[in-house]
Amino acid sequence: MSGVCDERAVWLGRFVLPHEPALRAWLSRRSLGGLEIDDVIQETYTRLFQAESVAHIHDAKNYAFQVAGSVVIDHLRRMKVVALSSVPDLEYLEVVSDEPSPERQVIDRDELQRLAEMIARLPGKIRDVFTLRRVHGLSQREVAVRLGLSESTVEKHMAKGFLIMLEQYGHGGKVPPRPSNLATNEGMRRDARKDRTTD
Amino acid sequence: MPGKTAQQIDAEAADWAARIDRGDLPPEQDALFQAWLSEDVRCLGAYGRMRALALTSERARALGPDFDPAAFTPAPFSAPARRRLLQWGSAIAATALFGVGGTWQVLRQRGRFSTGKGETKVVALKDGSVVTLNTASEIQVSYSDSVRSVELVQGEALFDVAKNKSRPFVVTAGDTNVRAVGTSFTVRRLETAPVQVLVQEGVVEVSKPATGGAPVRVAANSMAEAPEAAPIAAKPVPVAQVHRQIAWQKGQIAFEGETLTEAAAEFARYSDTRIVIQDPSLAKEEIAGLFKATDPVGFAQTIAISLNAHAQVGEGEVRLTR
Repeated sequence: MSGVCDERAVWLGRFVLPHEPALRAWLSRRSLGGLEIDDVIQETYTRLFQAESVAHIHDAKNYAFQVAGSVVIDHLRRMKVVALSSVPDLEYLEVVSDEPSPERQVIDRDELQRLAEMIARLPGKIRDVFTLRRVHGLSQREVAVRLGLSESTVEKHMAKGFLIMLEQYGHGGKVPPRPSNLATNEGMRRDARKDRTTD
Repeated sequence: MPGKTAQQIDAEAADWAARIDRGDLPPEQDALFQAWLSEDVRCLGAYGRMRALALTSERARALGPDFDPAAFTPAPFSAPARRRLLQWGSAIAATALFGVGGTWQVLRQRGRFSTGKGETKVVALKDGSVVTLNTASEIQVSYSDSVRSVELVQGEALFDVAKNKSRPFVVTAGDTNVRAVGTSFTVRRLETAPVQVLVQEGVVEVSKPATGGAPVRVAANSMAEAPEAAPIAAKPVPVAQVHRQIAWQKGQIAFEGETLTEAAAEFARYSDTRIVIQDPSLAKEEIAGLFKATDPVGFAQTIAISLNAHAQVGEGEVRLTR
């Protein structure tokens, strides 16, 4: 259908998503040339989606860090404001992973625990919808009937649920305030993005 | 529609993920979805990330119908138990678990064992010791009643030695002897470098009998080097590095900050397919990650994506260019 492969999405959910807090922390210590961390994260996933195969990647964490680093480097290079020699390539590729062990990434019990916690933290109606859809396995239509809601409302609750959960997931359980999209850095960001959208 | 914020894109991606969670999109919706995806380079990633969560969260079915989110209280986290699993166990466990194309061989007291390029082999010895041979390696086993002797003729091998105080286990690599009672260690004998001994567990004694110096004790998480014309030197190494150095046991090669040139040389130990790096700036790129040892092409393709380079596969080689 969409050219967006679910198999890859499953792989990302299993091996990359759990490392997002570490990836964000890593990015937050580096100069992003006017990009937001969220911009870098999104484009990183884009590249991970476009990778022809992920079968030979054994350490997805390091790999994701490396891709994120190259997203930033490419962006810094395109800006052309920074002298190329000052682009800290090495810093971006010097990924410190304490134990590069694939075993660590597959810890089912902990993952389930985390999922349960995240569902429990969802606000009222969204939590009800999410629990019926995901824990009880009802279809969105069945959830709508059960709760006496319209299908489009159920869909909206699911969307909101995804957003909230990803926020928690991506930040390791803590939900930080989102930056407002205003004033000072808006112009800068737009400039920063100008040549991104054209390539 | 230029200049969308990451937050707007995330919100739109969540809407699409929720719609697709209902089932396949009808054609006219799918056209809209495709159009949205091509609006910005970040859209695909944002959607993919949302979809990743949507699919991952399906595992919540495993919580069962009795799961009550309102009454849920987080259980304590069992970090120590997890950590233990990561402690280096035996070669057998690792190999059995990952089964990366290594072969098994059981023998009596004597014999010669070797591996070709890209091959690993686990040899179970009669006393309960286990030797794991890395790529292009060869050992000669000769046990007697008083001593268990193994010669490392070439290459690299990991020795998991069964305890037996009255019958020491001695590995000979050229002029270097490594003596152990019960322990786990790796010996590497390559033409291009001094003999290296890496100890994962227990203690070994490294000596060069011909030169008559005192044996050097090497403890767990330490590495000794025995150069031809210099004394044996031992130094501690970080646990993470120990793990990286024996990644080959799982059929993997681990890098952390090596240049692409060094990585290509390492892959050459495991495969005849050469990695050719044409761009000098590319050659100096430092890389990190775990890769399948026998798949230089897969490695080159993977690394090309992350370095924004191109990998071109040719006869007996793969070329990386920018």
